Amino acid sequence: MSTTFKSLRGDDATTTRTLLHESIPITGSILSGTYGGDTVALGSEPHIKTYSHGMFESVFDYPYLSSSANHIFDITAGYASTSALSGASNTQNTKKINIYNQMAQVLMGFDETGSVRIFDEDGDISGGGTKLKECYFVNFSRLLTKDEIKKGTFEMELMTTDGFSEATGVGSLERIKITDFSGSDGYFVNSPAGEYGVLFATASNGATVLAANQYYKVGLLFYQAGVAVISGSVFSDSDDGGILHTGKGTVTFSPAGASVTGFNTITSSTNNVMADNLRNRLYNIQFNNTTELNSTIYFCRVNNNEFNYSANPTYLSTSADGPSAIVVKDGDAVRDPHSYITTVGLYSADNELLAVAKVSEPLKKDPSNELTLRVRLDY
Amino acid sequence: MAFLDNSGDIILDAVLTDSGRRRLARGDGSFKIAKFALGDTEINYRLYNPNHASGSAYFDLQILQSPVLEAFTDPRSDMHHKLMSISRNDFLHLPILEIFENSGASSERDTTTNSFLVAVDSETEEAIGDFKGLIYGETTDSASSSKIIIDQGTDTNGSPGPTVDLSPSLRETQYQVEIDNRFGSIYNAAGTRLQSPSFVSEAQVATYYFSLRGNRMVQKITEVGAADSSINGPRGSRLMMKIGASLRLNGSTGLFTRLGGTSTVNSISVYHIDSTVRVTGVTTGYSIDIPVRFIKKV
Repeated sequence: MSTTFKSLRGDDATTTRTLLHESIPITGSILSGTYGGDTVALGSEPHIKTYSHGMFESVFDYPYLSSSANHIFDITAGYASTSALSGASNTQNTKKINIYNQMAQVLMGFDETGSVRIFDEDGDISGGGTKLKECYFVNFSRLLTKDEIKKGTFEMELMTTDGFSEATGVGSLERIKITDFSGSDGYFVNSPAGEYGVLFATASNGATVLAANQYYKVGLLFYQAGVAVISGSVFSDSDDGGILHTGKGTVTFSPAGASVTGFNTITSSTNNVMADNLRNRLYNIQFNNTTELNSTIYFCRVNNNEFNYSANPTYLSTSADGPSAIVVKDGDAVRDPHSYITTVGLYSADNELLAVAKVSEPLKKDPSNELTLRVRLDY
Repeated sequence: MAFLDNSGDIILDAVLTDSGRRRLARGDGSFKIAKFALGDTEINYRLYNPNHASGSAYFDLQILQSPVLEAFTDPRSDMHHKLMSISRNDFLHLPILEIFENSGASSERDTTTNSFLVAVDSETEEAIGDFKGLIYGETTDSASSSKIIIDQGTDTNGSPGPTVDLSPSLRETQYQVEIDNRFGSIYNAAGTRLQSPSFVSEAQVATYYFSLRGNRMVQKITEVGAADSSINGPRGSRLMMKIGASLRLNGSTGLFTRLGGTSTVNSISVYHIDSTVRVTGVTTGYSIDIPVRFIKKV
């Protein structure tokens, strides 16, 4: 009996899990500069989408009206209602509190009394300690983070002297670098939104940028949620409760000559302006994402006496021996038949082709050899 | 002692076909891989040179250099030709499928188009009348209708001849017939539709299975006369069928104007669509594409 199919037994398939990582570099000039430059006002660039509700700002990698544009992240800012910055006369005061509470309840959850937990600087919620009450939130798109941000790979560099300008460039600007360097082996699992690590800041360019030569805890990074919570302290000097060196002073955001500086600008600025301020100070962001591939591997076992003939029309000759003569036998019954494998087809029980795998070059099959082709199907 | 080269990756990555994706999306458990087959669509075995001056290592050099295409996701485009498992290694001939054209059996093709014509409505049938190669797609049980006969066996140019029995391991017992479901469906030689397709693919290709022990559409060829079959050698089985036109072609010219053209048959102007019906032996994997032209009177 000849046959063209071979049934797979129960032990001919197994499942595996593979983690795939991609490097995601986001250059600061894409965020502010490339699509606006010095001629377009900050916030009016074509790759920045703002909304009438003013709760957040979306950043694209290309003018967003183009179908080529990809949404890369959203920026917003907020503070807790218990923050010293909270005040009824503030611009968008309610929205900023709402934003903070929304992010906190999603990312930190609720305590035993049903109150929203405030972001904790070191992740030790039960131990008390310093809370992050004034924050930027950078919500990365699923397109970039895929299943999660790879722990220990996140870096964000912020300019602390001035914002990006095409005219002056960024070469000499002082910068700090925020990383989750301890994330690969030191992360927390007490969040309802998955695992998170602490973000640390250190000087990256310029002398005496920080108040002290140390790592400062300046935020939290939620790996599966793809959200970076950045403390407002990164833009204030130590006299104003921040991490920058006193001699450098607190960062002056736009508008120029504002009476308040650093993150405190939030009291008189809309969320869009706050988002623009951060975007204009971003020198670089990079991280690796993770995609979890679940695969089934089918072991297609080809025994020595199987698949040695072919139904390929060219397998048969048009010679004097008739149109059914096998070419590779060349009229010699003793010579072994053989065939060449280029494709593996996986079929349902009713012979419908469900998946196809190709080999890179033809594999010779004859009665003297056996093959096990491992065919992987990813989900 | 040097290390062995272990750079080759022996895992093959598979891609889902359209049918596979559809079954997966259905979420009803119908996506279940139960078997595998091997194909060699890219291979031209006629490049095999058993007389190469440099010896047997060079016989298949050109074949092994054949580039392999990436996978197609259309299930009809891949696995055209499958590899076969036969326990015996001493066969010199393999069975093939051939169209048996016989005027006595009303199974000839139209000589102008070299295809079978399927009149999709009774008006076209009556206008063209009794015409060689014309299958009545509406009045399928008409005695004037042609039919398609596919013979299976090893064509050996008469050596050995038809009196020799075909090896049971090479005898085809089941046929798979694929037809564009938008155009028509498969009927038996008497003009009766015996069964529905086993499945219809995303590309609207309907697949039918007909077995030797089933509904008499498949029969063992017992005649040994030269005129009794197109196979000049040991004979296997025969598939006989007609094609019924779809309601869509029967009642509308929409598909004709979109996918076809106009021509003349027996001095009658007709719309036409050219298609193929693929018949594959499930046991041996050999397949044949039968040219079919669906026609409708203008």
